[in-house]
Amino acid sequence: MAVGEFRLRVRYAKAGRARFLSHLEVMRALERSARRAGLPYAVTKGFNPRMKVAFGPALPVGTGGSREYFDAWLLRPVPSAEALKRLEVSTPPDLPVEDARYVHMREPSLTAAATVARYEVAVGGEGVTPELIEKALATVVGEGRLELEHKGKTKVFDLARSLPEEARVRSCGPPWIVEVTTRMGQEGSLRPDMLLNEALSRIASDGAVVSVTRTDILIEEEGVWLRPL
Amino acid sequence: MGSELWPQVEALLGRVERPVRYIDTEWGVRRKPRAEHRSVLLYPDTYEVGQANQGLAILYDRLNSTEGLAAERAYVPWVDMASEMRAAAVPLFSLESCEPVAGFDMVGITLPYELTYTNVLEALDLAGIPLHASERGERDPLVVGGGPCAYNPEPMAAFFDAILIGEGEDAVVDIVCAHRDAKRSGASRAEVLERLSGLPGVYVPLLYRAAARGGVEPIGTAPPVVTKRAVTDLGARRPPLCPIVPYMDVVHDRLTVEVTRGCTRGCRFCQAGMVYRPVRERTADDIVRDVMEGLRCTGYEEVSLTSLSTTDHSQLEEVLRRLTNRLEESGVTISLPSLRVDAFSVSMARLASGGRKSGLTFAPEAGTQRLRDVINKNVSEEDLIETVSRAFAAGWRRVKLYFMIGLPTETDDDIAGIGALVARVQRTARDAVPASDRGSVRIGVSVSTFVPKAHTPFQWDGQVPMDEILRRQELLRSATPRKGVDLSWHDADVSFLEGVIARGDRDLSRVIEHAWRAGARFDAWGEQFDLGIWHDAFASAGVDPVAIATRSYAHDEQLPWAQISSGVSERYLWSERQRALAGVVTEDCSFDACTGCDACGTLGVDIMLGGGSRGGR
Repeated sequence: MAVGEFRLRVRYAKAGRARFLSHLEVMRALERSARRAGLPYAVTKGFNPRMKVAFGPALPVGTGGSREYFDAWLLRPVPSAEALKRLEVSTPPDLPVEDARYVHMREPSLTAAATVARYEVAVGGEGVTPELIEKALATVVGEGRLELEHKGKTKVFDLARSLPEEARVRSCGPPWIVEVTTRMGQEGSLRPDMLLNEALSRIASDGAVVSVTRTDILIEEEGVWLRPL
Repeated sequence: MGSELWPQVEALLGRVERPVRYIDTEWGVRRKPRAEHRSVLLYPDTYEVGQANQGLAILYDRLNSTEGLAAERAYVPWVDMASEMRAAAVPLFSLESCEPVAGFDMVGITLPYELTYTNVLEALDLAGIPLHASERGERDPLVVGGGPCAYNPEPMAAFFDAILIGEGEDAVVDIVCAHRDAKRSGASRAEVLERLSGLPGVYVPLLYRAAARGGVEPIGTAPPVVTKRAVTDLGARRPPLCPIVPYMDVVHDRLTVEVTRGCTRGCRFCQAGMVYRPVRERTADDIVRDVMEGLRCTGYEEVSLTSLSTTDHSQLEEVLRRLTNRLEESGVTISLPSLRVDAFSVSMARLASGGRKSGLTFAPEAGTQRLRDVINKNVSEEDLIETVSRAFAAGWRRVKLYFMIGLPTETDDDIAGIGALVARVQRTARDAVPASDRGSVRIGVSVSTFVPKAHTPFQWDGQVPMDEILRRQELLRSATPRKGVDLSWHDADVSFLEGVIARGDRDLSRVIEHAWRAGARFDAWGEQFDLGIWHDAFASAGVDPVAIATRSYAHDEQLPWAQISSGVSERYLWSERQRALAGVVTEDCSFDACTGCDACGTLGVDIMLGGGSRGGR
């Protein structure tokens, strides 16, 4: 058997009540799952040895995720189907593990590589219609740049860059599901709930974001968007 | 049972801090929604403070492992959530089924600390359960208390239907089964209480009244003295090996394996050392087996071998060698609480730490040999210096020292002695490390105020008044080196209130209720504590707190907790007090001959040592 380290990429969901977890809490919970699964995980060198894992871009408290990822480095290659099976039974039901496959050791980290995220934002409220939401979004997007206050800091987003695709409202509601695609990265990641709340505040209605789910994170390679697995 | 509240709870979670406190669904949760008898176990503080409580984890495991019985958890919602719940008319709910706590058969509440008492009232009120046991009807759950503070139950007596004194793993099943059987036979609430009062270790406050000579006396057939429950053999039941693994970063977020119960070092200020007697060790084989199984089941990255004095375990070295072998390369660490001040402890800490040396903690407690003899803290200055020297030579760079001020017979010389001892520890540490490392030597000094506790040799002694404590704190500040020493205090006003409640009687329940009604809750959280509210509450209830805290009892006076026995005789406690005043030390019976505390005789439980005997270290 080959000796060395192997990089297992695991897809999971942050679902149900687990959407109320912080990123740190999700990480700790899944590291413990990997330990319960008995995977031959590698341990970092140094003063405080830890399981060698790396997670994708963080989700805030309250936001769910249906296709999230982490990489775990293993000392021995456990067949991926077996690793998946062991993880499935070792993970709390609201953080279900759904896929696991090996990726190249030299692949860039998930946080560096994943630059596009898709979301589904549920909007509720009296008198809110898909047309109104679309109009409100068009108003904000038409302004070209958006200033948002978050935790006392002002961030400015260039919407042409931050929104690589036009948002779309699904015709079945309420609540109305708005599909938003945003860019993540060093320049800042636009939170779709803040975008929609800002848009809804421009129109006279009591519409508000009910829930947010990140449905995909995507790696952009030569203009093509790919899923990490 | 009531209906599931989750949709209403969920609607509030977007508006509160740390919603993770309320979401349940952690790894290891047990669900038995259709059990015949269902209890809620409530810790009277937030989720992150109470989740890892080992006592409740044991009860949760025991009840859920017994056919027909179920236990769920509840904690006190933080102030933001409590306001939201009241505004939305959402009652206190259990985590597992998210049902109203008031709909359960029994509510078990642990009493970990005097300053959580207002939280008990907050929880009962949020649940919609009448605060007073005397006001509860046939449809209300049975409210049962227990835990460390039950040894003086009187301040909280009005709010409990029954209080368990002592160890719960067997008693909880006895209590619940008695309740279930009584319910089956259609017994009234009064009949239930009557039956419970016949169980060993169960105190039913409504069946006692204030006695003319002080304290309380039974009204009917209730026993005049309730003696604590103690288990004979810790090895007879396995500890919870698949406990709940929280999502949240809780206090003590690690696997806990109890290695010993009880400690007979005999420190005279220490309530735990008196009330958890006798010493019962688990065997090395059991400990190693349970640690490995617990780690497999939880996925924890750390295990703590807990007890009041872990380095006294007769097989600790064997346990640590076996565990470090098995856990090599796993990244899992072993932690040891409460190190003794001796070379053996340092070598055990070294063995456990696997190279990482975060910091060591020692508790000399007092600054002079005279006062250490008074409190029977059998630690000499030379032990401490030698131990610190070894630890710093072995690579540690931080040490934390615990001291108390306000101990009986303390003088200004003893206070100055703390400062001098800290200075000597600092010099020793600096001398033990390479010159280039001296800058990284840190000495932490944590100073608490002595609070006399029930069932200890100092139970008769009054607390030093608060203004005098403040003077002594100032004196200590000026006597302690500043550079490289981090000096921290427990607030004197918090210790004062703790002292009043710890030795209070039934009158205190009115004070606690007044304080809660005026907004006191989470008193143990510095930013929430307001002594002003409490002073108003004392005034409204017509109770003089200073008189209670500073009161010294004569030997023949009735103590408010005299109807409770920990198994240690009052005769022994009094003789320990006399020896304290004479500066005479008492040996540890787990190493040496019996000292006549009478716990084994009263409880029918013997000392059990995993390795047969404890070496004469």
